[in-house]
Amino acid sequence: MAKNIKETLLGTLVHGEEVMENIRVMRNVSLDKICEEDVAKSANALHKKELELVVSNVIDTGKNAKIIRFSSKDGYLPPFEAGQYINIFTTIEGVRTSRPYSISSSPRQRGYYEITVAGIPDGFVSSYLIENAKIGDTFTANGPAGVFRHQPVFHSKKSLFLAGGSGVTPFMSMTREILEASLDRDIVMLYGCRNPQVALFHEELSAYTKKYPNFKYQLIVSDDVEGWTGEKGFMNGELIYRLVPDFIERTTYICGPQVMNDFCKKELQVLGVPEKKIRREMFGTRRDIQNEPGWPKELNGSEVFNLKVGDKVIPAKSSESILVALERAGVRVNVCCRSGECSLCRVKLVSGNVFLAKGMLRRYADEKYGYIHSCKAYPISDVEIML
Amino acid sequence: MNQYDVIVIGAGNGGLAAAATLAEKGKSVILFEKHNIPGGCGSSFCRGRFEFEIALHQLSHMGTKENPGQLRKQFARYGIEDEIDWIQIKELYRVNFPDGTGISLPSDRKECEDFLCKEFPSEAESIRKYYDTVYKFCEESADFAAKSAGSTEEPGAIKKAIMKAGFPKKYPTLANYALKSTQEVLDEFFKNPKLKLALSAYWCFMGMPPTRFPFAILAKCTNFYLETKPFYLCGTSMMMNQAIMEAAQRMGGVVKLNCGVKRIVLENGKAVGVIDENGVEYRAKKIISNISPLATYGNLLEPKEVPQSAREYLKPYTVGISAITCFIGLDCTPEEIGFHTSFTLNYESLDANKDFADAYKLLPENDPLVATCYTVDDPSVSPKGTSIITAGTLKYGTEWEKLTPEQYYEMKYEAGRRIVARLEKMYPGITEHIEEMEVATPLTHMRYLGHPGGAIYGYEQDLMQSVFFFPSESKIPNLEFASGWVNACGFGPNYTYADTVASKVAKEV
Repeated sequence: MAKNIKETLLGTLVHGEEVMENIRVMRNVSLDKICEEDVAKSANALHKKELELVVSNVIDTGKNAKIIRFSSKDGYLPPFEAGQYINIFTTIEGVRTSRPYSISSSPRQRGYYEITVAGIPDGFVSSYLIENAKIGDTFTANGPAGVFRHQPVFHSKKSLFLAGGSGVTPFMSMTREILEASLDRDIVMLYGCRNPQVALFHEELSAYTKKYPNFKYQLIVSDDVEGWTGEKGFMNGELIYRLVPDFIERTTYICGPQVMNDFCKKELQVLGVPEKKIRREMFGTRRDIQNEPGWPKELNGSEVFNLKVGDKVIPAKSSESILVALERAGVRVNVCCRSGECSLCRVKLVSGNVFLAKGMLRRYADEKYGYIHSCKAYPISDVEIML
Repeated sequence: MNQYDVIVIGAGNGGLAAAATLAEKGKSVILFEKHNIPGGCGSSFCRGRFEFEIALHQLSHMGTKENPGQLRKQFARYGIEDEIDWIQIKELYRVNFPDGTGISLPSDRKECEDFLCKEFPSEAESIRKYYDTVYKFCEESADFAAKSAGSTEEPGAIKKAIMKAGFPKKYPTLANYALKSTQEVLDEFFKNPKLKLALSAYWCFMGMPPTRFPFAILAKCTNFYLETKPFYLCGTSMMMNQAIMEAAQRMGGVVKLNCGVKRIVLENGKAVGVIDENGVEYRAKKIISNISPLATYGNLLEPKEVPQSAREYLKPYTVGISAITCFIGLDCTPEEIGFHTSFTLNYESLDANKDFADAYKLLPENDPLVATCYTVDDPSVSPKGTSIITAGTLKYGTEWEKLTPEQYYEMKYEAGRRIVARLEKMYPGITEHIEEMEVATPLTHMRYLGHPGGAIYGYEQDLMQSVFFFPSESKIPNLEFASGWVNACGFGPNYTYADTVASKVAKEV
């Protein structure tokens, strides 16, 4: 066959004939490379877009919290890092929503993921799960995700865990992994609770501290409780300084209600702990958003504004995030952390004003072009957004 | 009616530019992106006080406001040139050698030549001759491209014979060097291995070691970075890509984020539309795919719909390299740890080809290490007193795909540890300053890009698969490709190539 003009001219180049001959050889010896298998299948084994979970066990802690264990419908649960969460979807009273829950089981076993759901007054999802979740129920979830974990390249082997209330759950996963797998780590855990009766996993943690020399645990009780002889008060600098004399060598991890989380961070900074040694789990947004600094004085949280999205206009309460308003109206939004970090629920603010709760990690470009993370944005006027 | 002139699949650099160009030309266009943000490789993520650039090191083809390059002109057409704060990078790059010495190249041809002549006086004459050759090569190449543009007709036998005889005379530099490797050309000109490494650094932008890296690409990189200068911008490449997306929308284009394409619809073997992940069908006269040809044919069509010619056509092409990258936020300034040039290439020996062979192994060993400190050129990239460094090595995905899920995290952090140890050797004290750090592996790139092998540059850009042999043809009527898989990879080349493809498509719809 006569050569076309491209081949003819390429033939005049130094190495031209040789390279074209190599390509012909490759064409003859190579296999068909187009196949219907997902080209990214190896990555899917680590991060599935959606998990189909089945409740395999429900354990009542007797402390207004239930431990729920999930196995996978298809028998496979992806690996995770101790401290990460899964975001569980559920439909309650016709509203599809989701909540992120830290995994409390050790990543060394993946027969199930265990989460712990603590009762919250008026908690929409927590109340539902506590009252209704039973063996055999199915849920979809995304994750495991999150960056609240020990990063071995630059975190200290010595850790200080500061847990508040149900914020103890990611530390259970970390602790169980370290102790059960005999990892070369050293842990001090301070756990703040209102009273010992609601301290989740208190018995297990107390047993660990007796058994393992590299694990020290102390419960700090904030209410006046008759007969309580242990540590009392809040986890302030004085207490950390006294109970954990080598705190400055440790990487400190904080997980608990936002007010406690912020408080502990400040106390550590006063003690001279640098930013890089303070790791915080974003634990949703405070429920009394109208008390957050910066909230407009003229609003009390009960106002209802119009939220326009596409051709729809839906009601949106000022004390509920735009994400929640969208979910109530049945608008599907991509979502994962619900704490302002992951940016999956990002939407564009076309017009109107929103209150942005703190903790939103927003990209420079998003700020320039008016994108907001809907989980952290509260309507404070009529608002139009674009998905 | 879900009817458009053009459907674009994927909002990577190429997909965004294609959509913007079509919208600019008054065509109705819809762009689908499965992620929640546009950009593909060209985006960013936040950790703590830092926002990390994912892929862009140095933007090419920009030029200055007074002397605009091709890309700046394209952005001006989109109306986004002045929406972005462009930052001209002071030096081309720095190459660090194992003995602790290093060479930083100025971004001006004369300064660059003079500097190298002073550093390597015994090779001064060759250095001048080399730069002349690089420039001559690019001139001839541009002239030939301009003359052959538009002539799609196959000439007759006589004309062909005349062209064949005339070509090497008219384009002697092109004929001599267009199909030589970087190594072959540098060996022809120079003796000192350090000088060769100093001149060949752009190989790492395409992921091919000097023995396989086409000199044609090196010559062009050298030429356009000197002439149109390397650029960065405020707000990471995410800023640029969000700006293009906004421009496309402003000009009437539709962008659907969080909405992947599940299938391409064929009728009588021709592409007529797509079905999105929610099962909604869209129709168009043309479809432009910004995703890999392998995923386009393999995952968006039934096996029986894939033309045999496409299978044959793609056979000689090998999926290219991926990378391991550490994204690092430091609680100190670059000066405190001794970082003065934003882009550095760091060698463990003077044999780049031998060291590159470690790219086939699971973990970083003697692999050449690329480290970029964005704070050097833009101190506002992170809070005052902090800095951002991304450091990593090129890596093939093969060994990572063999890991069991159980082994993954341990290996990922081990890779991170080794890269930080390499940095510590060059920049003592750096480890103590780490405030945030994420490690991305070939599987991370696979997860976010959806590329086979976690490839970051598409197919291997060697002499047989690039320059004259990019797999740019589509074997399905009304389907076109625009991405780094089918043309030179990199931000600048992707934007400008997509503009070319979209301009051609605009004339046809």
